[in-house]
Amino acid sequence: MYPEPTDEELVALLKKNDSVALETLFNRYYKILCQFCSLYTKDYSAAEEIIADLFIKVWDNRKSNIILNVKNYLFVSAKNLSINYQQKKKEPVDSIEDLDLAQHFLQERDTPFKILSGRESYGITLKMIDRLPQRQREVLLMSRMDNLDKHKIAAILGISVRTVETTLYQALAQLRELLKNARNYTLGS
Amino acid sequence: MEDQSYRLIVEYFEKTISDQGLVELQEWIEAETGNLEKFSETIQILEASKLYFKEPENAGASWSKIQAHVNHSEKKALSYKIHLVAYAALFFLICGIAVIGYRFAVPANPESLEYAQISNQDGQHSRILLPDSSIVYLAGGSHLKYEKKFLGRQRKVYLDGEAFFDVTHQPKRAFVVQSGEISTVVLGTSFNIKAYTDEHKVEVTVKTGKVGVVANVNGKSRLLKYLVPNEQIEINTESGLYSSGHADAQALIGWINNNFVFYNTSLKEITASLEHRYGVKIEFTDPELGAAKLTAKFKNIPLKQVLEDIETLTGFSCTVKGKHIFISDNDQKGGKIME
Repeated sequence: MYPEPTDEELVALLKKNDSVALETLFNRYYKILCQFCSLYTKDYSAAEEIIADLFIKVWDNRKSNIILNVKNYLFVSAKNLSINYQQKKKEPVDSIEDLDLAQHFLQERDTPFKILSGRESYGITLKMIDRLPQRQREVLLMSRMDNLDKHKIAAILGISVRTVETTLYQALAQLRELLKNARNYTLGS
Repeated sequence: MEDQSYRLIVEYFEKTISDQGLVELQEWIEAETGNLEKFSETIQILEASKLYFKEPENAGASWSKIQAHVNHSEKKALSYKIHLVAYAALFFLICGIAVIGYRFAVPANPESLEYAQISNQDGQHSRILLPDSSIVYLAGGSHLKYEKKFLGRQRKVYLDGEAFFDVTHQPKRAFVVQSGEISTVVLGTSFNIKAYTDEHKVEVTVKTGKVGVVANVNGKSRLLKYLVPNEQIEINTESGLYSSGHADAQALIGWINNNFVFYNTSLKEITASLEHRYGVKIEFTDPELGAAKLTAKFKNIPLKQVLEDIETLTGFSCTVKGKHIFISDNDQKGGKIME
């Protein structure tokens, strides 16, 4: 692997058929792309497959000039590929998820002190994140990814930085509401 | 104001908050009774959402899939260039012939891509040190071909037969063992490959490290499986079917020290191994006998004793005629041909 070349240098090396450059890009972006992809697919192994195919596409297109900014290219392609994947498989997933949720609550009710202790209830929070409106969910989760600040998120999603901020705050407010309801449901019913 | 408080909390969580902001946050928390709750709830959501992401689990498999594709497309690109190279080669050949007459007594120039080949007769083992100081134990009846100097991006060797590889680690250059249409790709590990062409079977077992097994199907490379220590893949090269599972790598590579371990293995496979080991020819009077399955260990013992053990285990009888051994079923044939 090369020490610390920039993305641009790597793309130039790629054009010269350098597969080590591809490997460097892979090591640099694979993890974050898989995480990003899993926002849409909600299925981590599917995300890893999509991203592997994406790098194959990068290699096949190395001679053409469609890759101007490799980072943007990777993220935008990853998003499009994940959405295609999502549309193709027409998820029957939701109902099953709801079922899991009910079971989860039942277990929680058995041990009330778990509900009170903070870390144990991460599980509920994670499930509730998937119930947020799509855009809020995207922004909330992307802003938790390493190396992605609000400017980059804005670029990837094609919205303004200001919108990223307000969407994030809406997401937080909405999620607190959802959690409050979930907690009442658990304790009340 | 709602947004402003969230902004402060997020900045606090991301540790980008200014001193001024910190004071504001403090004041806001103290301003109303519900605010502290809002603060801690929000922090908790931010913490939880960070856990939303898992670590990649199959990065290795993904990469070898990509690598297989890259290698394949490089090969294709090469074939376009090959015409050009052929003309160039012809030109140099003509020049070369003129020079060779003069150079005849002088040692040849070793710069070009040259292959070394090693063939073992049945019954003969060898230990080979490759140019990158990887070690190969080559079994009887096996053939190994490799570049005298590993100059390319890959360290490529060709195997027909069985061999145990202990490969030196070179992260930049993969070590590739080609056996027919199956390639085994590693960076630095030790593993055993059994791929006698006439058995139509390739068997890869890993002792240490990680090994990718790639098949060439209709001109396309396809990763079959990533193997970890004590895993084995068996590929039928005629049908293309493969299966993988666990195997005791240490026992399996016993053949290096002439120790054979067979677990529930057909007699036909066992005799094939013995043929390579002892340099004999073993035949069945009735081919069906080869289907019998045995579990046995032969620890560096003479062939005579091995045959006796097989006789005891199977109830068959072994008849030795020079380099030929015949295995027959006592019940059917009745008695030995020779004493």
